[in-house]
Amino acid sequence: MKDIRFDVFVPSSLDDALQFMAKEGAEALPMAGGTDLIVLIRNGIVKPKKVLDLWPLREELAFIKREDGWIRIGALTTIEEISNSFLVKDPRYAGFLDMCKQFATPYLRTIATVGGNIGAAHPLSDVTILLLTLDCEVKLMSVNGERWVKLEGLFLDKRKLAKDPSELITEVRFREIPQNASTAFLKFDRRWGHAMGYIVVAACAQLEGDIVEEVRIAFDSMGRPFPERAKKTEEFLKGKRLSGDIIRDACSKVLPKEMKRISDYRASAEYRLDLSKVLLKRALLKIKSRVGGG
Amino acid sequence: MSRVHSKEEYPYVTVKLNVNGKDYEASVRPYERLIDVLRYKLGLTSVKEGCGRGECGACVVIMDGKLVPSCLVLAVRANNKRIITLEGLAPEGKIHAIQKAFLDTLSVQCGFCFPGVILAVKWLLDKNPNPSDEEIKEILGGHLCRCGSYLRFIKAVKLAVKYLQEGKVYFDIKELRSVSSAR
Ligand SMILES: Cc1cc2nc3c(=O)[nH]c(=O)nc-3n(C[C@H](O)[C@H](O)[C@H](O)COP(=O)(O)OP(=O)(O)OC[C@H]3O[C@@H](n4cnc5c(N)ncnc54)[C@H](O)[C@@H]3O)c2cc1C
Ligand code: FES
Ligand code: FES
Repeated sequence: MKDIRFDVFVPSSLDDALQFMAKEGAEALPMAGGTDLIVLIRNGIVKPKKVLDLWPLREELAFIKREDGWIRIGALTTIEEISNSFLVKDPRYAGFLDMCKQFATPYLRTIATVGGNIGAAHPLSDVTILLLTLDCEVKLMSVNGERWVKLEGLFLDKRKLAKDPSELITEVRFREIPQNASTAFLKFDRRWGHAMGYIVVAACAQLEGDIVEEVRIAFDSMGRPFPERAKKTEEFLKGKRLSGDIIRDACSKVLPKEMKRISDYRASAEYRLDLSKVLLKRALLKIKSRVGGG
Repeated sequence: MSRVHSKEEYPYVTVKLNVNGKDYEASVRPYERLIDVLRYKLGLTSVKEGCGRGECGACVVIMDGKLVPSCLVLAVRANNKRIITLEGLAPEGKIHAIQKAFLDTLSVQCGFCFPGVILAVKWLLDKNPNPSDEEIKEILGGHLCRCGSYLRFIKAVKLAVKYLQEGKVYFDIKELRSVSSAR
């Protein structure tokens, strides 16, 4: 029989939480919304002896701020809070509205968090995929202090992060993008609200007229089991006019060279690659119309 | 649910919670969920466990004004929180306009999904008293109804909006009986 029992530690402060993680090390796991962790525990996939309840830290770690040219989001901010924030009203960050609308179901959005989405280290992590296109940085804290790391590079494998188990994610931040830039997020799903997407893409581009000044593209997977950027496709697009021909070449010729898709019971690699091409095309066109005020 | 455990390892903790306006104290194991308390300890059987993994919406309750899946919220997290279940929507002997609208439109078949659906609609209408079809679909998209009443749900929500606009928040259960026997 599966042992789904664990003890819960309720911290009185962030410092208290960090000390607990330092002491308990690999025995314990932090829990934010629990929408990933409780399912994994109850399926016997992870077996922590102790769980650190992060929810009491929401007073400190749930926020969305605009500050000195940065957007800062606390790790315990929920998807619902993002969908009610100034971020989704700013045309530059329309990708956040796309993302929130397609994220799980309304009753999960009230508890699923930004930090948990990164901590889940799963390919189909919508917030993470979008944040990758904003060149996001992640703040990690432990009793030894804090450090900022790039979100890109934080993933080692499925459910494996390049950080010490005692480190907590406390915040993410990215530089504000210029007025002539915007974001888009697309997910292909058989139905909204249940299965996680088959294919997820996010993009952020800055356009001078029709010319691509800067572009970042991220998919749920480029071959490894975690979200990554499509850097060759980005390079190809940079400096070019975002015309139908260029978009077609980027999606049909360049992207397939750098992307490796898997086949499983949900979809074949071929189908996934086809969908990736189509969704990237749509994402780029969406950004074009958003920057153009469409 | 397993009740076999070593007492030393996972001692009971006391959780204080306000459910449907009444204060309760419950002894829970640290790994127990809110649904374990509401359904199995307090006997609020409107809270249904469909999937136990956030996919069906049968277990949702309103906690401190937020719609949450009680199968994915630890009981300890409900400490000092206010919770509303279907039982708390209307005073004794009455039903809420949303329930009445669902009955009137014959939306309820087996009724398993119904408590979660009603609470989701309540949560929606509290924020948005006159939602569009799209907004109704978005809120109910996460609620599986194995009897397939989905299209009727939309009609029901519209009727509930009408009742509420007319100021009819509660309906007497006795009057309902007479209506159904008259049919
Ligand atoms: C039915 C269903 C549908 C879903 N749909 C989607 C979807 O559409 N899109 C999507 O992206 N995801 C989806 N998910 C997955 C999940 O809800 C998200 O990944 C969510 O963002 C996780 O956040 P959480 O706060 O619940 O994380 P938790 O479950 O609390 O934690 C997830 C992991 O991160 C670790 N962790 C959490 N917070 C921190 C922190 N601050 N520091 C360090 N480590 C931390 C935990 O130890 C755990 O390993 C779905 C899940 C379910 C059950
Ligand atoms: S039982 Fe909680 S969502 Fe299905
Ligand atoms: S009425 Fe039977 S599940 Fe919805």
